[in-house]
Amino acid sequence: MSQHPITLTVNGEAVQSTVPARRLLSDFLRDDLHLTGTKRGCETGICGACSVLVDGQVVKSCLSLAVQHSGRAITTVEGLSQGETLHPLQESFMQCGGLQCGYCTPGFLMTSCAMLAANPSPSEDEVRHGLNGNLCRCTGYTQIVESILTAAEKMRGN
Amino acid sequence: MLDFDFLEPASVAEASRMLADLGDECRVIAGGTALMLGMRQRMLTPSHLVSLGRLGALRGIALDERGGLRIGALTLHAEVAASPLVRERFPMLASMAARVANPQVRNQGTIGGNLCYADPSTDPPGCLLALNAQVVLASARGERVLALSDFLVDYYTTALEPDELLSEIRVPALPADASGQYARFLRTAAEHRPLVSVAFVARRQGAVCTEARIAVGASTPIPVRLPRAEAYLAGKTVTADVAAEAADLVAADIEPVSDARGDADFRRDMVRVVARRNIAGLFGLPQE
Repeated sequence: MSQHPITLTVNGEAVQSTVPARRLLSDFLRDDLHLTGTKRGCETGICGACSVLVDGQVVKSCLSLAVQHSGRAITTVEGLSQGETLHPLQESFMQCGGLQCGYCTPGFLMTSCAMLAANPSPSEDEVRHGLNGNLCRCTGYTQIVESILTAAEKMRGN
Repeated sequence: MLDFDFLEPASVAEASRMLADLGDECRVIAGGTALMLGMRQRMLTPSHLVSLGRLGALRGIALDERGGLRIGALTLHAEVAASPLVRERFPMLASMAARVANPQVRNQGTIGGNLCYADPSTDPPGCLLALNAQVVLASARGERVLALSDFLVDYYTTALEPDELLSEIRVPALPADASGQYARFLRTAAEHRPLVSVAFVARRQGAVCTEARIAVGASTPIPVRLPRAEAYLAGKTVTADVAAEAADLVAADIEPVSDARGDADFRRDMVRVVARRNIAGLFGLPQE
């Protein structure tokens, strides 16, 4: 069926590719670009493991087609660190134990990254509401929330 | 997901002609959050998708000359929620949009796509019904304006003709003495779809409700207005007992659906509770 040339930016690098219409953004990132940090979880828009940023806004990459994102800037979990230096959120998830099996973690990192960009000083309640589209079956969320609040404080320079 | 062709028309007229030519074989894609699920499960197997991605003119929020809102069909839920215009003039609409599904879906799903999909278990249709919203349907033949109540025909069914697109949602200005509130019930705190929603708009003088609009959504195949409860409230001083009586009328007058998420009796009971709390809450009464 129809093939489409697409041009987009992924983690700051220009990417040109040709995709079939039905290629999901999540599959494009994982299978075509080999950026396997973005996870396929439920693939029904519930779990949020596939969350990535599109022009700075968090979306579920299993719910859209790669062809819809031509011209956009995508950030995946691989784009969070600066070389060997981890993003403050990644640091705090490690320090606070914000993960157990780790499968949902890339999604939580991307969602919380967008959350803190929009609101650098969220309350615990705002953090919990902001995580409404991400599921974690291991942690019980307490340490994820703590990780995000800790990172927020660090990023505010306290 | 089965293969399909992806078409990207550059104007409403071109999109309309594509839809007319392709007929039942094609589907319109806006954000895609609902459509992707239907296609992945092969409940929908279109041969062609007509993307609205190039129709940027259908996105954005403006005031009309009478103080009402014109919301482009491709406006994202997150944009409705964050819009200063909406927050200032229609806080009930902004508060509803801020609760649709989850943050990721609000950043990708469109208000027009939501209405066209006509999934009963979502927030916008009931809220917009209580706000007396209208929809603009555009095609290569021209435009027509329908009341939302005429647009929503049945479960997953709208009044769209095969060559039409929803281009705009119009929300008329509220009278100066009116305010409104959108309330809902979720079975679990993490659920993304309301089991019950009650949208309530009232004109008031102090504690007296001079005019009421009540719409129940998510529990019925399409959201419905409740004329008996609205008439009961008109002219009444709203007390806790009056709110409870009106809520009983609301619950009695709906025909709830029964499905895996909740049977009709449960939904009716929850409609009664949400209606009572919403009516009492808007009039500043204790809600328990």
